[in-house]
Amino acid sequence: MNQAQVNNSDLLLFDEALPIGDMNSPRGFKSECIPDKKVKVDDLFKFRRGRGDLQISIATALIALFFFFSFWAHTGWGDRKLPDEMGTYIAYQLGLMDIEVRVVRFGRILKQPWVIPMLCLLVLIPTAVWNMQESFKVYQWRKRFMLPTSVQFELSKYVAAFEFVAYFILYTFFVPVLGYLLSTMFLGTYMTWRLGYRNWIWVFRGALSSFAIVIIFRTFLQIKTPGSIWIYDQLPTAFRTFMLTYF
Amino acid sequence: MVPDVLIAIVVGSIGGLIIGAVPGIGPAIAIAILLPATMFLDDLVSLVLLLGVYGSSMYGGAIPAILINTPGTPVNALTTYDGYAMTRRGEAARALSLAYASSFFGGCFSIIMALIALFAFGPYLRDLGALFGQRDILMAAVLGSVLLIAAHRQTMGIAAMLFGFGFLIAMIGRQTTRKIDRFTFDIEYLYPGFNLIVVIVGIFALSQALNLMVGKDDDPPEARLTGGLLSGFKELFERRLITVLSACYGTVMGIIPGVGEFVAQFFSYSTARAISKEPARFGHGSPEGLIASETSNNAVPAAAMIPLLALGVPGEALTAMMMVVFFDAGIKPGPDIFENNPDFLFSLFTALLIINALVLAALLFLTKYIVKMIYIPNRFLGAFIMILSFVGVYSIRNNLADCVFAIIFGYIGFILRRLDWPLVPIVLGLVLGSIILERLTAGAGQIKTAVDLINRPVSGTLFVVILMVIGFIIWTSIKNRRESYQ
Repeated sequence: MNQAQVNNSDLLLFDEALPIGDMNSPRGFKSECIPDKKVKVDDLFKFRRGRGDLQISIATALIALFFFFSFWAHTGWGDRKLPDEMGTYIAYQLGLMDIEVRVVRFGRILKQPWVIPMLCLLVLIPTAVWNMQESFKVYQWRKRFMLPTSVQFELSKYVAAFEFVAYFILYTFFVPVLGYLLSTMFLGTYMTWRLGYRNWIWVFRGALSSFAIVIIFRTFLQIKTPGSIWIYDQLPTAFRTFMLTYF
Repeated sequence: MVPDVLIAIVVGSIGGLIIGAVPGIGPAIAIAILLPATMFLDDLVSLVLLLGVYGSSMYGGAIPAILINTPGTPVNALTTYDGYAMTRRGEAARALSLAYASSFFGGCFSIIMALIALFAFGPYLRDLGALFGQRDILMAAVLGSVLLIAAHRQTMGIAAMLFGFGFLIAMIGRQTTRKIDRFTFDIEYLYPGFNLIVVIVGIFALSQALNLMVGKDDDPPEARLTGGLLSGFKELFERRLITVLSACYGTVMGIIPGVGEFVAQFFSYSTARAISKEPARFGHGSPEGLIASETSNNAVPAAAMIPLLALGVPGEALTAMMMVVFFDAGIKPGPDIFENNPDFLFSLFTALLIINALVLAALLFLTKYIVKMIYIPNRFLGAFIMILSFVGVYSIRNNLADCVFAIIFGYIGFILRRLDWPLVPIVLGLVLGSIILERLTAGAGQIKTAVDLINRPVSGTLFVVILMVIGFIIWTSIKNRRESYQ
């Protein structure tokens, strides 16, 4: 690669200099090695398959196959109405034949509930299988060059995320019990503490932010929250109405 | 009504600035969270509020990109290369000034082009609207789908697969005409199908919340900002060729469904470097590089509204979310809008123009305060995105099951983010799939043979374009494969 090629084709986004000067010198050493890769504009948009890609690609292919096997029982395929002689019908549709008898309108076939799901699966299954294959090739390449392929780190992140999913689901179930105000303040304060912001200033900020969310969305914007709250039902009537309306 | 609209413009603009400036949020997440909340507001107020967030977030995203080398929104990634380099040279104020001026020019340019197009072509578009039937909109939706997949140059296969999943999710539910349940597996919740907002909040907001919470907090360096912020306009005028070209790229790319800010920036940046007198400076603090990236990315939002309004086909996730607001306001995007709601169109773009002006004015005074927002820790932010998402999702149908499914979609989105797989195809598969299904069902009575799908002038033309795009995809794939072998 000479200087002109580098200037024209590579946008160097870092400060390292290329040892280009020596390559064109008549007495200099002409290396066959490709210079160290520099970041190019294209690289900003480049996709690289990381660890965990193969496992998730396999999972998506299995999900696609699951939908494929479910298709026959869950889309009305059993009640399909198709012309008796499909070959002749297709030839007619393509203009290769003329049929004198009355023909089923193509629109009636398209309207059937299984048609669009079938088209989806015709896109989904080949792409899922292709994706799995490409991912496997990258995995094999990484193994061949003894690059790390362990997914332990990724799995740890997936498992870690489960904890927060559980918190959200618990929050969802506690709102009808404790009300939006208490549940949100509790979750906001607990999450602040749980995520490692443990000094009182941060815990206070968490509580204050939760309170602000309740005031803005529930009190002012009157966003809907569950109408029947167990803890508010224990309050005196006037106070209950106030809490149900504004918190 | 007018004070409410003005308040919405101010809140949306300033809110969008802050949302864009805080790395980790972005307009998609903010709009996903606000969308259900705005159903309780007046239609125009909710629309203007969301437009304010959409239009101003990219202004704000440039601030951390320039000051601490962290893009506030994904589309500001390219801004870090030249913007942060300028900061390291002690020219932070100059870089910010250039970014603001470029964003303002890009935003106003595309809005004015859109308004001119409406004035000039409005009468013809009204007539053109009469040519658009069900089959034509169907073809337009198919074209949008193909363009969306083609736009993911590096991940086309994955985009197609995820689009297929999104399309399949749109099919789930009870088909009302024949009472057949598609993929409901006898789960009562699934009979009406998945609500689009549940999927959007899950895929965008909750996935990011999970991603932030399992990650680490960034430790951004201290940002020092000294100097004035007005010099950018003078420099913009001195480099007007690159500025105008970048704005044109952003506008054109915004109009094409599925393309968006990234491609606009890529072409704009590459062209700016090609015509610059100092190409070697690009990536090392070139003002022209900064102008190219910021002008083009801010020209896209207004232009992206055009295919949505004209054809009823959203080209990206944000415009897909806007479509929900339009429907809620009783405004049906499509060719008929030019005849039924012309005043609405002019109001919309005028509001965008006011938002751009307001944001620029706000930035000149509020930058030093907005900079403080950059330092909100990521994990703390993630927790509160999660809390905010609940209220948005629950308020759709008063159904706690929506919240549970939202977090399930959020978990799926989290895994996709970890793998760097695109999220937008799932959402657009859901949206475009619904449009395709609706139009196919409505137009089925007129389809006697397969040729009837494409024998109208508009649908035929769109079909030819679809074939050209598919041909182009195949040709570039073969070409890339040959080059990689060489």
